[in-house]
Amino acid sequence: MLAYAARRAGLGAFQVLAVAVLAFALVELLPGDAAVALAGDQPDPEAIARIRERMRLDEPALQRLGDWLGGLLTGDFGASLTTGRSVADILAGALEPTLILAGLTLALLLPLSVGLGVAAARRRGRWPDRLITTATVGLYSVPEFALAVLLVSAFAIGLQWLPPTAVGVPSLLAEPAVLVLPLLVLLARPICSIARLVRAGMIEALDSEYVAHARRAGVPERRVLLAHALPNALSPATAQIARTADWLLGGVIVVESVFVIPGLGTALVDAVNARDLPVVQGIAVVFGITTVLVNLLADLVAFRLAPRLELAR
Amino acid sequence: MHRPRLSRRTVLGAAGLTAAPALLAACGGTGTDAADAPQSGGTLRAAFAGGGADEVLDPHRVNLFADAARAKAVFDKLADLGADMAAVPRLAESWTADAALTVWTVKLREAVFHDGGPVRAADVLYSYRRIADPEDTFRARQDLAPIDLDASTAVDDRTVEFVLRHPLAEFPSVLAAFGAYIVPEGATDFTAPVGSGPFTFAAFEPGRSFAADRFDDYWDGPALLDRIEIVVADEESARINALLGGQVEYAHDLSATTARANEDNDAIALVASPGSNMLGFAMKTDRAPFDDPRVRQAVFLLCDREQLVESVLSGRGLVGNDLFGLGFEHYADGIAQRERDVDAARALLAEAGAADLGIVLDTADVGSGFTEAAQIFAEQLREGGLGVEISERNADTYWSEVLTEGQIASYRSGAMPIASHISQRLLTDSPTNVTQWHDAAFDDLYLQLQSTADETERQGLYDRLQQRLHDEGGYLVWGFADWIVGTARNVHGVEQAPANTLDWARFDKVWIA
Amino acid sequence: MTRNRAEFAAILALLAVPLGIALVGPLLPSTGAERTQPFDPAAPWPGTDHLGASVLDRLLDGGWGIVATAAAATALAFLAGFPIGLAAASTRRRWLDEILMRPFDLLLALPSLLLMLLLASIAPPTAWMLVLIVAFVNLPDIARIVRAAALEAAHHPVVDAMWLQGEGPWRIALTHTACSILPTVAADAGVRLVGAFYLVAAASFLGVGAGPESSDWAVMVDVNRGGIFLSPWAVVLPAALLVALSVGLNLLFDRLLSRREPA
Repeated sequence: MLAYAARRAGLGAFQVLAVAVLAFALVELLPGDAAVALAGDQPDPEAIARIRERMRLDEPALQRLGDWLGGLLTGDFGASLTTGRSVADILAGALEPTLILAGLTLALLLPLSVGLGVAAARRRGRWPDRLITTATVGLYSVPEFALAVLLVSAFAIGLQWLPPTAVGVPSLLAEPAVLVLPLLVLLARPICSIARLVRAGMIEALDSEYVAHARRAGVPERRVLLAHALPNALSPATAQIARTADWLLGGVIVVESVFVIPGLGTALVDAVNARDLPVVQGIAVVFGITTVLVNLLADLVAFRLAPRLELAR
Repeated sequence: MHRPRLSRRTVLGAAGLTAAPALLAACGGTGTDAADAPQSGGTLRAAFAGGGADEVLDPHRVNLFADAARAKAVFDKLADLGADMAAVPRLAESWTADAALTVWTVKLREAVFHDGGPVRAADVLYSYRRIADPEDTFRARQDLAPIDLDASTAVDDRTVEFVLRHPLAEFPSVLAAFGAYIVPEGATDFTAPVGSGPFTFAAFEPGRSFAADRFDDYWDGPALLDRIEIVVADEESARINALLGGQVEYAHDLSATTARANEDNDAIALVASPGSNMLGFAMKTDRAPFDDPRVRQAVFLLCDREQLVESVLSGRGLVGNDLFGLGFEHYADGIAQRERDVDAARALLAEAGAADLGIVLDTADVGSGFTEAAQIFAEQLREGGLGVEISERNADTYWSEVLTEGQIASYRSGAMPIASHISQRLLTDSPTNVTQWHDAAFDDLYLQLQSTADETERQGLYDRLQQRLHDEGGYLVWGFADWIVGTARNVHGVEQAPANTLDWARFDKVWIA
Repeated sequence: MTRNRAEFAAILALLAVPLGIALVGPLLPSTGAERTQPFDPAAPWPGTDHLGASVLDRLLDGGWGIVATAAAATALAFLAGFPIGLAAASTRRRWLDEILMRPFDLLLALPSLLLMLLLASIAPPTAWMLVLIVAFVNLPDIARIVRAAALEAAHHPVVDAMWLQGEGPWRIALTHTACSILPTVAADAGVRLVGAFYLVAAASFLGVGAGPESSDWAVMVDVNRGGIFLSPWAVVLPAALLVALSVGLNLLFDRLLSRREPA
């Protein structure tokens, strides 16, 4: 077990680095660089050349990547090309709102989606199942921005029940009302996909030999569902839940921009637009670490749920 | 001898006063309330699009509207631009030139920085030298290039003598350049900036919010508001939603569609400044197919300007006449409006041997209406027999790319003096000559213009330059979009003004009732 | 049984409207309406879009593009992801599993919208590029889900029995595993297709798409959202068609599958 943990940790570190390098390569491939982006609609070639020199963009890409990796080993995330502000500072500021959003979403997501999935599976083919199945598929195809526009129009502008944006709010937790609409938007799609997977897994498990056996043995139905069927049904869903954490990071890009929440998603889009490589890489590292940790957790949970799978590998 | 146009300023101010209530009424605005006496107190929260975590308070590094709004709350320039782009004195009390128009003497008014120190000639020279530093990359450096700062001196504490490298009849507009703010001598750290503006710095979180409090010793009289907060909301929909939801009292830069949707909304007032943002297309005059003036003229004739204004701007704009600066000082309004004429265009194309020409139209999502205008314009060109392919480029690097690449590109320009438009974009050595207009005779004419002290004579030269551009220039200007700002009902004193002019984002005269 | 049949008819009706418009719409002549103001309140129902063009024309022309893009992308993703996931789960060689799956872990660590944002900024904006990008974004997910499902099936007692009988691993994978994971995979495929509609729409929101002149329902929802208070139809109609298509397709999928399964 210890060896396994050590191996996974090593692999995780490698993954995080690889993600940072990949992000570097992709941004390098984008047209233009930070100097061009900074010059904006005043693209005086002479000024661009000077900015480029100041940002040390005239040095070879590999050397810049090497310097950055070297800095990372000593815990130095580097500084923004555009302003010279420390990347660690920028990350620290942007992390809080995103963590609040993502954490609350995940906390609400699990009970809601598992509950819906199990409810649908238990009444397979009857109206609650049909209602849940239809509603989740319908909702799943609506992009966040459309859902956000709809919710804001209805509940913030029309009914005036909730604030439309988080503009000027010093901390999200200080005014929880601003969180309601963003959370609804963030939850909508993952609930749908996970509920469907849980339902499919539950149906499969409920049809299986061992559940039939448990029922024959007189195990109470509730216990059959929760202790026997559910754990097995959850293993395909766990992979998806792990994926949701990553997806959340992407989803917050849209939600942050619509609701004006200055988190990691906003910081990432700004940094990509400004071709501010150290910031993009810093955020990629944060995303990479999160994803690796969540996947590790998901694998451990899957291991607990159905130990024979990992052992058989 | 040139006297500063103080008289002009008073006239402008009066015009502004009379125009504002009429405009507000026209927009379903405050009407009767606007007549009430201004009152002190309160906090105004204003939403602007911003620059994320990379925002700084260094007034010489301003780039975005949010930067400029913050900078003008804390700092002053020597001059600023009026609604017609004429320079209006600010920290400068007066300016006079020698006969050759190469030495300008600027008198400073009595003003103090927020730390109590007076604004001195040394502060002005320090600020300008910092901006002009060849090792650095300040945006206004290009505008200050005509000044020989080594030769320029402080005559006394409140008099600066600027020595120019060449005659410049319109030097005062240099003093109003974007980002040419006056900072205290020696200032390099702007985490808690000290300026001479109407508000003193209070708090700043990059990409989120900025706050500043009233400065009681402001030379132009203390502001009415206790505090101004500038918050960042990049999406236009978020700005209008925040305004409608009562989270801000001022929303900058709203779309025509939003304005139409909220016309009859009693909760907010809309302030539109007509003709603030030029929209058009830039043809490269140095390469095929647009090196042939007949092809350029044919494209001019194929453009249905009314349709573009109607469909792209919802009719909230003015029709352009292929010239920059409609409504600004020195605009050649004597030139007849160009109308669509498909037959004449076809004839010109046939004559140029380009009847079934195929062109690539570059565009990018860099501003509202940009790609939309390109799509409609492409349809209009196709009606004239041209083959048009639209190429959408990356928005972040668009301006740099189309400066040298491509044939014809979507183009826009904010408000600036017509002279700046010419010197930045239409001279052989202009840094952003996107139409690649290289014409020695045109350059000479411009130089002659800037060496001419007489107003009427200079206007004649302006007319000649603009006639030339109208006949065969590379800029097709189809319209001017209104600049629209939304405010809460209880906000007064927000004047209509093109972006980046004196009265734009000016919060010291605004009050809440 | 009659209730079942009525339901089937309802599903078909739900699908017929969007699919009919998507397939036949481009063949119909345009209404020939003149371009007017965007979101023109005076224009005949369903009004005009953000360019002042008729929403009806746009709706008729815009179905084909998204159906083709989403279907092609999903098919492509499964064509690549299914064999990879199956092979990774079926093999008894650990290194093969690692080689097949580790690169996806890497991709999964990049948020898909970021990946899309970057890829599409680098690649030229064409319809095919959008198909490739959407397929690429979906690929790691599909491979992982197929592998997870197949892993369970591959270690079923039946497999051990087949193994003992001397069946080769690939034969087991193709005959037993592939069939037994089909329900899970098909449920996923339905959601993926719907997810592809979503990705195409999200791409448009992020400024990534098949060029400014492409018009499809997903793009319509994005570009017309600014006028939702002036003329909601330019957003509501394409969105409703997309939802009808998604729901119809999924219900149909579920039904066909449950019929094949032994009761």
